[in-house]
Amino acid sequence: MLELNGITKRFPGVLALDDVQFQLKPGEIHVLFGENGAGKSTLVNVMVGNHRPEKGSYKIDGKNMLGLSPAVARKNGVSAVFQEFSLAPSLTVLDNIWLGRELTKFGRIDRKRMRALAQAKLAEMRTNLPLDAITSTLSRAQKQQTEIVKALLQHARYIIFDEPTASLADVEVQNVLRIIKELRDQGVGVVYISHRMREIRELAERVTVLRNGKYVGTIEQDEIEEDRLVSMMTGRSMIELFPNVRHMPGKEVLSISNLATESGGVRDVSLEVRAGEIVGLAGLVGCGKGRVGRACFGLESVVEGNIFLKGVPVSPRSPSQMLKSGVCYFPSDRGAEGLCLNRPISENITMSDLDAPKTGKWGLIDLNRERERAQRAAERLKLSTDNMGTRVEMLSGGNKQKILLARALLRNFDLFIFDEPTVGVDIGAKAEIYQLMRDLTEAGAAILVISSDLEEVVHISHRIYSIHEGQVVADLREGAKTEERVLASFFGKQPDTETQEIAQ
Amino acid sequence: MFELAMVAAILMMIVIFAIAEPQFLSLRNVSNVLTQSSYLVLLACAQAVVILVRGFDLSLGGTVSLVSLTAALGMTMSGALPIPLGIALGVLTGLIVGLFNGFCVAWLKINPFIVTLATMNILLAISSTITGGFPVTNLPEGFSDMLSTAAPLGVPVPVIITAVVVFLLHLMLRRTRFGRSMFLVGSNPEAAYVAGISSRRILLWSYALCSVLIALGAILMTARTGSGEPNLGGALTLQTIAAAVIGGMSLRGGEGSMAAPVLGGFFVTILSNGMNLTRVDGYLQEVTLGVLIVAVLVLDRLRHRRTS
Repeated sequence: MLELNGITKRFPGVLALDDVQFQLKPGEIHVLFGENGAGKSTLVNVMVGNHRPEKGSYKIDGKNMLGLSPAVARKNGVSAVFQEFSLAPSLTVLDNIWLGRELTKFGRIDRKRMRALAQAKLAEMRTNLPLDAITSTLSRAQKQQTEIVKALLQHARYIIFDEPTASLADVEVQNVLRIIKELRDQGVGVVYISHRMREIRELAERVTVLRNGKYVGTIEQDEIEEDRLVSMMTGRSMIELFPNVRHMPGKEVLSISNLATESGGVRDVSLEVRAGEIVGLAGLVGCGKGRVGRACFGLESVVEGNIFLKGVPVSPRSPSQMLKSGVCYFPSDRGAEGLCLNRPISENITMSDLDAPKTGKWGLIDLNRERERAQRAAERLKLSTDNMGTRVEMLSGGNKQKILLARALLRNFDLFIFDEPTVGVDIGAKAEIYQLMRDLTEAGAAILVISSDLEEVVHISHRIYSIHEGQVVADLREGAKTEERVLASFFGKQPDTETQEIAQ
Repeated sequence: MFELAMVAAILMMIVIFAIAEPQFLSLRNVSNVLTQSSYLVLLACAQAVVILVRGFDLSLGGTVSLVSLTAALGMTMSGALPIPLGIALGVLTGLIVGLFNGFCVAWLKINPFIVTLATMNILLAISSTITGGFPVTNLPEGFSDMLSTAAPLGVPVPVIITAVVVFLLHLMLRRTRFGRSMFLVGSNPEAAYVAGISSRRILLWSYALCSVLIALGAILMTARTGSGEPNLGGALTLQTIAAAVIGGMSLRGGEGSMAAPVLGGFFVTILSNGMNLTRVDGYLQEVTLGVLIVAVLVLDRLRHRRTS
């Protein structure tokens, strides 16, 4: 049994954990639930020995573990699969699985045995992985499985999964969930972190809720209800997640015909987005839907097809050109392409608008004005801090995403492209992001939402295009866009007669 | 916070050297240190400009040498306005070097470390061949007077020029779009690009700015020595990196201010002047500087480990 009591952890300026308790029995799935910044990650880092708490007790199977290191935690059977994978991208899958613990025979690496053991484990998990593939070529789901195999081969008896299904499509999610259940049946204790209610209902035997670094409570399986969890998490009663967005399609803003990209990721995509509507782009991870958005913003080279903005053909070459043409794109990976993490909030909000002719005397940036503009945008998105000088890296995932999206409010755009807008974002922030989309739409903008989250894409968009292997396979209008139909189309099946042609 | 610690460290060092060697605080030495540091501060500012965009300029020493020679050659060649011609030629040399470095880093995407190391070799080779390794003497009379010995209101010209440059750079970094873009590109070039900033162009002009500032420093140093010297660059590359980093520039990029090269420049100059006066062995001085750089980088790492 894993037992933590009275855990307190302080970072410069923040009390990350305040007298938190947590228990994990073998053969149990225990969900850790809370908003971004509630302290889940810190708690997990304490469990695996990355952080040393100031106060509290930590026991593994009755043994006192305070002040343990990651290596000792691993030796005692505690492993974690984090959102950020700890895989060496240029090594093969097999090498990564055994990294740092390679089996040897007479001092030489025993690849044969390593492969045999890995294959046996994969067979046990009833999955398949290309063991000789270079890790960087794998899909996100496959990398996830590599991490799981790695943990299992370390004889982990307690495994922590930190949002393993974020940015996975539903089929892949089912696979991960099945593996986790099988681990439980084999007596492994699982800590599961997720924001997705459906998964929590399906997996959890117990749920522990944290809020602002404090322990709120633990509830048993039969007490799990969405309303209850959300109110425990937010301290408020149930919030309306998906707003009702009026559908008032106006003039055509974006029209794409027979688009193909140089990367081959997009082969034949045609679609249109009108002012005053939200259009969803759904599909499995890696189906090319993200590349459609990138191509429209000049981040991916187009080899065939045409892109029209308000009826005028454009050939997107760079983000700066597209920003000037009234297109605003939010990348899926906010850390890599969205934010300058060691710069302050204000600079991150105004960075896409530096060319605006709104600078002060002698063409110099008016710092006060800049701060005010940033502050106004941040307030509209209910950012939890009002100190615009704070470095973005100090903030939680939800707040980082809000800062990225705040750029939408600085000036008027005709078209917004959101690529995976709510990955790793808590429910409170999600609701505010959807409200932002509603406000922008009702103010007359056109919105394209690219998302692997089926629930999200079905509920927020008015129409959905489904992408399979770089091609549009379904065009689903209001009434026709159910989760089942969208899901069916992910595998290239034409869902049924209600599919409508784009030309119509 | 860090700036205050730096000031405290400098003051402490002054006290220690003053106790060890009373000569250290003599009027002559103080004025000497002030003038000396102005050269290093100026060159460290150049280095800081590229460190800000996650770069390095290892070719700084070579640039100094070559600029010193071309400026001196420009002045000794017959012409109507020898001094302006020489200065222009020197600045132009710097600009070309900077554009070359910047092009290789921004467009060809070669690691700045490798690019500038190669440039360093090229520049040193050119410098030692164009005059056969000999200094260029017989510079116009007014040159050294104007840019080295003159001291309006008692303040030496190099100090004035450096102060003006530091002020302008500070203004540029904080208040202009180019300066802001440098921070953003240094912090995350991909994110800056997605936000509509041409990361490549910012990189190119950062390197150009760096080398033009180096050229300015080289011209001032040439005025001080009174001749164009093929070996003028010497150990300056390491010293400027040391000054910028000790002063607080982060090698992660996108962080820092002009306070770093200023404080760092003073620190390094005072340290080496103090060690000279207290007769510390020359090689030991080099070791001290090297150890100091490593120590400061370790500190930098620790600082970031805490925040991330």
